[in-house]
Amino acid sequence: MFDDRSPIYRQIADRIKADVLSEQIKGDEQIMSTNQYAAYYRINPATAAKAFQQLVDEGVLYKKRGIGMFVSPDARENLRAARRETFFAEVVDPMVTEAKTIGIPLGEVVQRINELGAR
Amino acid sequence: MKFPTRLLAANMVFAILLWVGFLLLVGAITAGIAVFGQVSGSVWDPASQLARFYALFTGVALAREYLPMYIAHGQTRRQFGAQAAVTITLFAPFLSVLITLGYLLENVLHGVAGWPQGISRDHLFGSTSEIGLIFAEYAIEFLVWTVAGALMGAGFYRWEGGGVVTIPVGIAMVLVSSGALGTDLRIPFLFLTMLNRLRLDLQESLPLGLAVGLGTFAVGLALAWAIIRDVPLRNRPR
Amino acid sequence: MRVEVRDLVLRYGETTALDGVTLSLEPNKIHGLLGRNGSGKTSLLSVLAAFRRQSAGEVRIGGEPVFENTAVTSRISLIRDEGETVDLGTVDDALFFAEWLRPDWDAKFASELLERFALTRKMSVKAMSKGQRSAFGVIIGLAGRAPLTMFDESHLGMDVPSRQAFYDVLLADYMARPRTIILSSHLIEEVSPLLEKVVIIDAGRVVVQEETQALLARGTAITGAAASVDAFTEGLTVLDSRHLGGTKSVLVYGALDEERRRRAEAAGLELGPVAMEDLFVHLTGGPR
Repeated sequence: MFDDRSPIYRQIADRIKADVLSEQIKGDEQIMSTNQYAAYYRINPATAAKAFQQLVDEGVLYKKRGIGMFVSPDARENLRAARRETFFAEVVDPMVTEAKTIGIPLGEVVQRINELGAR
Repeated sequence: MKFPTRLLAANMVFAILLWVGFLLLVGAITAGIAVFGQVSGSVWDPASQLARFYALFTGVALAREYLPMYIAHGQTRRQFGAQAAVTITLFAPFLSVLITLGYLLENVLHGVAGWPQGISRDHLFGSTSEIGLIFAEYAIEFLVWTVAGALMGAGFYRWEGGGVVTIPVGIAMVLVSSGALGTDLRIPFLFLTMLNRLRLDLQESLPLGLAVGLGTFAVGLALAWAIIRDVPLRNRPR
Repeated sequence: MRVEVRDLVLRYGETTALDGVTLSLEPNKIHGLLGRNGSGKTSLLSVLAAFRRQSAGEVRIGGEPVFENTAVTSRISLIRDEGETVDLGTVDDALFFAEWLRPDWDAKFASELLERFALTRKMSVKAMSKGQRSAFGVIIGLAGRAPLTMFDESHLGMDVPSRQAFYDVLLADYMARPRTIILSSHLIEEVSPLLEKVVIIDAGRVVVQEETQALLARGTAITGAAASVDAFTEGLTVLDSRHLGGTKSVLVYGALDEERRRRAEAAGLELGPVAMEDLFVHLTGGPR
């Protein structure tokens, strides 16, 4: 079970996922070792290793025994699909709520979206 | 058991530094006496009484500084006890060599300057040229004083104020040995001056001095060991 | 080295400092020992390091009893603020004995650390600032490379940059040479990310012995409208609660399952992580 209540796990997972989405790390590329992550975040290596294990369980990473952790070839596609699924619930809906709370007419919001889309 | 090389080395190096400083000081005092008055005998002889207090201090430091350090470095009390015993056994004669050398150097100086070289304190030896006896007397004296220091240091480390119970024991050890050696005690603290009258008058001789000195040393070691064998390290800074 | 403690009791005269401590620390992990002032942390570590003998109970390290057992004690190092290993003339003097008495001493590492913490060999330890003295203790503890290395508030006197340097060096050296490390500290938020496991003791007894992240996951902060929060937390272990107008925030202890989390979300409640410090305060009985 990925424990999203642990800030450290989430920090590491978010970092890696962001890097995968932005193609900083590509499919089948090796990521930094647990020890490097542990030193960087100043955390116990066992904690870093567990965060990695969670990402393996989620299919973002895979392990090559004795070598290290690699990004799954389809990780980026899966992450994008997952993000698309929650995009409206997590990004658009809160934005609309916020616009209503502070009194911005939704028409203006749509207009802005169209402007940005045209660029 | 590991030989206490570094414990000995640290104490010996410090003793040599002090000795050099002390030589210079005694030299300066002698020069002062020569300028403003008359050198009437050995200056080193009365001055070297101070060395026993240095020996005492060395014993105290063994218990208060080195014992906690040894334990904190993962040594057992047994290991420390053995190393400290060997250290005292070798350090006392070493210190005695330094004092004896002081007499020798002074003999040469007074010879060259034409000053008399008499001794003013009671000793096992009759003149400053009896090297063997000088060495033996001081070696035994330092052995006893150092172990007395270690015993009292251990007592105060373990029981804080309650450590005073070890003071009479330490004084008794020193009294007995100086009686056997026929030396002055001269404890220089006001409230203790009455003890100076507590002289034990044994028929001093080298065999007696050796036997009593070594016996006292053994007793001191045994008592100190009894105090430190399961002593806990203090939780608060001393 | 594995540390096994059973029914450990330590008394100082009338006072009972350790009142039946039982714990088992796995080898080659970084363990945290947390507790309030006077909870028995120093007493426990002192017994583990053979600084004192227990009044009752059993201590085994690497499978063997500790007190006056050379084979074991030579592999244990406990660095305390009292400064047993440093209060000896100059830095050089202390190192002279450390490298001679410590079987696993690494002189090169000690030199690197001296440079890192800006200490020089000629410095007199008595003339050092509190921070420098703490740093020197830490250096002796790290360079000793003892299979069981314990720091009892050793870095409390150091300033923030030095403490961060200590954490970095400790982690790097631990990863390069895994060994059993026990850190005892009041700086809970600072040290807890370094810890794989924590032991919390209070009044001479073990309150919690748990993996750090698992312990953290047991606490949840729940914030929302007072009525919804009250309805939701009914039957849960509430450690603390605070009000701000109609908003209530409570700290619950105990894992929340998926179903409960969904219910919280449905009720418009916000779930958040809890700081180790908050868990610590409540597990050790709040202010007194």
